[in-house]
Amino acid sequence: MFLQIEQLFQNQSDIGMILQTLFSLSFIIYLFYAQRIQAMSMLRQVEGTLRKVKSLRDEGRSVSIKAVKEVGKQDLDPALDVDRFMDHFFITPVDMDPAGVVQKLGQLLNVRENVWEAEVRAMAPEASDSQVNNLENLLEAALALNIYYKVIRHYYLLGKKTMNIYIIMQIHMILPLIVREIEAYSSALQAFQEGMPIGDGIGPLVAARMMHGYEYEEVAKEMVAAEVPYEGRTLIVIKAKGPGGSVGKPGDAVGNLINGRKGEKKIKAVIMVDAAGKLEGEATGSIAEGIGAAIGGAGVEKYKIEEAVKAHEIPMYAIAIKEDISHVVAPMVEELFKAAEKAVEAIKRMVVERTEEGDVVLVAGIGNTVGIAQ
Amino acid sequence: MGSTTGTEYPSMSLSWVTLAVVVVIGIFSLFSLYMGFRAFGSENPENSTYYIIIGTAGFAVIGYMFFRTKAITTTRRKSDAPKVDVVTILECPSCNLKRVRDFKRGDYIYKDDEPCTRCDGTMVITGIHRRAEDKKKA
Repeated sequence: MFLQIEQLFQNQSDIGMILQTLFSLSFIIYLFYAQRIQAMSMLRQVEGTLRKVKSLRDEGRSVSIKAVKEVGKQDLDPALDVDRFMDHFFITPVDMDPAGVVQKLGQLLNVRENVWEAEVRAMAPEASDSQVNNLENLLEAALALNIYYKVIRHYYLLGKKTMNIYIIMQIHMILPLIVREIEAYSSALQAFQEGMPIGDGIGPLVAARMMHGYEYEEVAKEMVAAEVPYEGRTLIVIKAKGPGGSVGKPGDAVGNLINGRKGEKKIKAVIMVDAAGKLEGEATGSIAEGIGAAIGGAGVEKYKIEEAVKAHEIPMYAIAIKEDISHVVAPMVEELFKAAEKAVEAIKRMVVERTEEGDVVLVAGIGNTVGIAQ
Repeated sequence: MGSTTGTEYPSMSLSWVTLAVVVVIGIFSLFSLYMGFRAFGSENPENSTYYIIIGTAGFAVIGYMFFRTKAITTTRRKSDAPKVDVVTILECPSCNLKRVRDFKRGDYIYKDDEPCTRCDGTMVITGIHRRAEDKKKA
């Protein structure tokens, strides 16, 4: 048999003809099926990512269950409660008539916050306030991973079902960006499980550096403020109340402090410090100064701050500390940690340059204060 | 989220059909290489180029298929979310002694932690961050 097959290839013209036929055949196949081949190739890449995301989603779920069991000290298995939490959804208010949409969104966010807190307390009744906050953040990270997984799976299955290259391309094109966000959320699991400071906590860290050692009081839900004297001025430094994972209500805190100073000296300037996404090429931990409300999120807190400063014509300055998207909810990197001191110096310089002796300045450290007390 | 267990999407992993294809391509490639080496000493040495191209292309295809399969298997096994080393920095406010140790659960910045080893003061946690080696990877 071996010799018979060998005879097939004996003649030079035979092998040349076979090769030519093969090339012609592959050309014709590619002519008609190029798009399908490309679609299959993209689907395969999406599938690989989907496997990874599924693995991370499962990891998020198991870490959450483990953490609830550890903190809650209950005999009941929290798996069903965790699964229910991971499927929570949020419907934003209708914005066809935009008047009052921020208040509506704010009210819905408050409801969600209260419901989540109640759910976590029910899962872990023995947990302290800080532990409840950390568990809530951990479950939020697991929820985000679950949503990413389900959306990618949706496009993958839809693409596979229809073999429509445009459906597949939609998810394939943004896959690298999505993967970065997913990896960031998976890093958050460790941070929230252990209660470590995260990249987003750089704002509260800066505030904590300034207010540590001074008396502080709660000025809004999960927000603390301390009066710090500096170069003849009074700095009112605010941050979310730590060390549990919380962003607090900085909008309410700024509003209460600005509007509540009846009979006292008015606030002359507001300086906000927050982490900001860096562009490729920018160094992690680099500091930039600007104007406006340095705060992310849904926009409700930003709206409240802008309303309060506008009503009193207070200038608002911003300090942004640059970080990569992968650092936002991951344990804080050293470059960011070291940037806190530089940001404190920038604030002090700003206070001296832009205010006068005797002025009152509000300094707000914005972000999640997990692992950072005051 | 009842769909956490069980098959949630069709699999494209290595099946027996793919394995059979790999075996057939392997045999064909091996035979082609054999013919190529034989053709060197024959009357038509130019034929050896054709055979060797076909043989190596076949093995390249097999290699690619194995590479893909390995990547999928690795992804499946490596299910853990990334874990990083985190350090805690402690400082004594009385004698300024500074110490760095591994992060322990319950640590937080500005926590009064442990007694100072040099004086009677209590060490305060002044910093928590990832270990420096991580910045090379990041």
